Amino acid sequence: MDAATIRARFRDRAFIVDEAFATALQLALALEKPLLVEGPAGVGKTETAKVLADVLAARLIRLQCYEGLDAMTALYEWNYPSQMLRARLSETENSTIEEREKQIFSERFLLKRPLLEAITEQQPPVLLIDEVDRADEAFEAFLLEVLAEWQVTIPELGTIRATHKPRVIITSNRTRELSDALRRRCLFLWLPYPTLEQEIAILHARLPGLSERLARQIAALMQTLRGLSLQKAPGIAESLDWAMALLHLHRDHLDRHALEQTLGCVLKVYEDHAVVHGHAAELAAALGETSTSLQPGGHSLQTDFGFGSVSTSGR
Amino acid sequence: MYPFGGLPENLTSFCGALRREYGFHIGAGELLDAARALEIVDLSNEQAVRSALRTVLACTHDDAARFDGAFDRFFLSRHDTEVQDEASTQKRRLRGDSTGEVDDMSQASDATTASSAEAVDIFGDVGPITPLETGDQEAEGAPVAGARYSPLGVEVSQAPEVAEVDEAWLAAARVLVRRLQLGPSRKWRAAPEGRRFDVRRTLRASLQTGSEPLSPKWLARPRRQPRFVVVVDGSRSMSQHAGTALKLASALMGATPRVEVFTFSTTLERVTSELKRASVTSTRRLHALASAWGGGTTIGQCLAEFLRRFGGRLLSPNTVVIVASDGLDVGDPETLRAAMQALRRRAAALVWLNPLLGTPGYEPTALGMRIAKPFVTTFASVNGLTDLVHLSRTVHLRS
Repeated sequence: MDAATIRARFRDRAFIVDEAFATALQLALALEKPLLVEGPAGVGKTETAKVLADVLAARLIRLQCYEGLDAMTALYEWNYPSQMLRARLSETENSTIEEREKQIFSERFLLKRPLLEAITEQQPPVLLIDEVDRADEAFEAFLLEVLAEWQVTIPELGTIRATHKPRVIITSNRTRELSDALRRRCLFLWLPYPTLEQEIAILHARLPGLSERLARQIAALMQTLRGLSLQKAPGIAESLDWAMALLHLHRDHLDRHALEQTLGCVLKVYEDHAVVHGHAAELAAALGETSTSLQPGGHSLQTDFGFGSVSTSGR
Repeated sequence: MYPFGGLPENLTSFCGALRREYGFHIGAGELLDAARALEIVDLSNEQAVRSALRTVLACTHDDAARFDGAFDRFFLSRHDTEVQDEASTQKRRLRGDSTGEVDDMSQASDATTASSAEAVDIFGDVGPITPLETGDQEAEGAPVAGARYSPLGVEVSQAPEVAEVDEAWLAAARVLVRRLQLGPSRKWRAAPEGRRFDVRRTLRASLQTGSEPLSPKWLARPRRQPRFVVVVDGSRSMSQHAGTALKLASALMGATPRVEVFTFSTTLERVTSELKRASVTSTRRLHALASAWGGGTTIGQCLAEFLRRFGGRLLSPNTVVIVASDGLDVGDPETLRAAMQALRRRAAALVWLNPLLGTPGYEPTALGMRIAKPFVTTFASVNGLTDLVHLSRTVHLRS
């Protein structure tokens, strides 16, 4: 699949990717290497894997990393109650210890966790290893082994090899530096916040009912907000939430009042509200510039008729 | 336009340039992947080639940020620098090989603006410092970091030396880490005695005794390990003491893997990996951060930047924040107060190491220090080993 096809397929699923992103995905698929996606929170890193799975018509297997995640939780566990039951039932049989051990530790009693599941899947799945920086270094080392060999050794059962290499997407928020070894195993993509035009395109793709003027205002304000030093800068998810909130309130454009009303969709930390109030002038400029630049063109009149936007699609 | 006729030669030489001049980690595997990537993408599309090579060759965000400049310089504007290259080759002959590389670098940083004559002047200015460092670097055969020869190069010499961590420091750091062990973690580990029954191991063992679980096995929760965030003031007034603070950070790194180190003067920089590298190689200076050393300090702003960029994930009830600074602040006091308050609220302990505290008769009266002090859980000085041992005894966690 080449980059243009990937872009088109992603666009069909209302997910806008730029050329660099599409090329990275193309290479990850062609070279069969994991793709490490880094970037600020809320730029759609996780969503990428979901859409990719949809595009490839593959199963998405997700491994959410967290502090204290250990190899067993990620790989497999034994189904103890069933094993216990089987051990009891087979007590009366005249079988040797080896035979009974074989019975109890067979694949029937194995509970597969994400990594083992990804390896044993018949069709190559998309494996999403989410927020790998949250897991500790020991787990990273373990992950390296799995990513290099695509095989898992279960002491009681033997070695299980992957029939097909899964397509792997690894995301990280850079809370700690990942090891060089892991980085070298992967292709790397830095996913920044979208540009003004990209964000407008994303808003339109996701919310077809949104007016051109409102989309442009939201995107411009987002650019300004991300420029301020906020504790939690808003991502794409926030702009979509915000746009949806404004649609619900039947706003066709943003003004100071609407901004005050709905700022909670965008800013999630109390201190950030104070920061934003300190930069009222810049926000007003972002609002004002877009509205004046649009008025002569009259774009906004094409979609709404002074009633606010009318949402036509399900989303 | 390109230095060589064939694609493989161009690619090899481009990777070589990235490795030498931009500090990329590129091995044979990456080179092979890059060649395969170029077979896949459309070679007539510059943007596609650029993205493909960036995806394969860059490993970190910093690499990715520097990549486009390197790509432009190598593939698109090579002819611009050719004339200068000839000039520098001549100079190389005059000066000898070891300094020729420096010439290239000084031109690389301002290839488009400076004429070759100016480049020589720049080189002349820093002459007494750089040849020595070049010698070092070549002896180790380590990749050359571009930043070393940037116009900020003069400040690089102010970067404090990271002293070697000896066994005594390491032992003291281990005591500190052990003393700060927190409550039980969420993990369950096999243990001789514990609170939870380990069905798996019991079952396994029972097979040896005819399915009778005679020897019960247990799981216990290990103690949670503390995470350390060390923030070192790199301003000029701290130049005597920053080295000791970095040594403390290195010692902590030896005792636990969960250490992140930052330096700041007017901007904040994460130096964890540089420090790690500095402590295992014989390069004992942090070269990559020219801008973080020297100059005045805006402690409040830098701590606020830390909170904004890293606070969300690095600060938790497991985190011990260690700030090493003399508290001589030229920034806004209110920002400092707010940042200290937030740090105190979100970390398990907030240790402030003030090197001046060891000086007899010193009172923390500087404005920055007066503001910060109420939020500090442990106020101490670290000028030597005895201070670290003392710290490991006195530091305590917020209850």
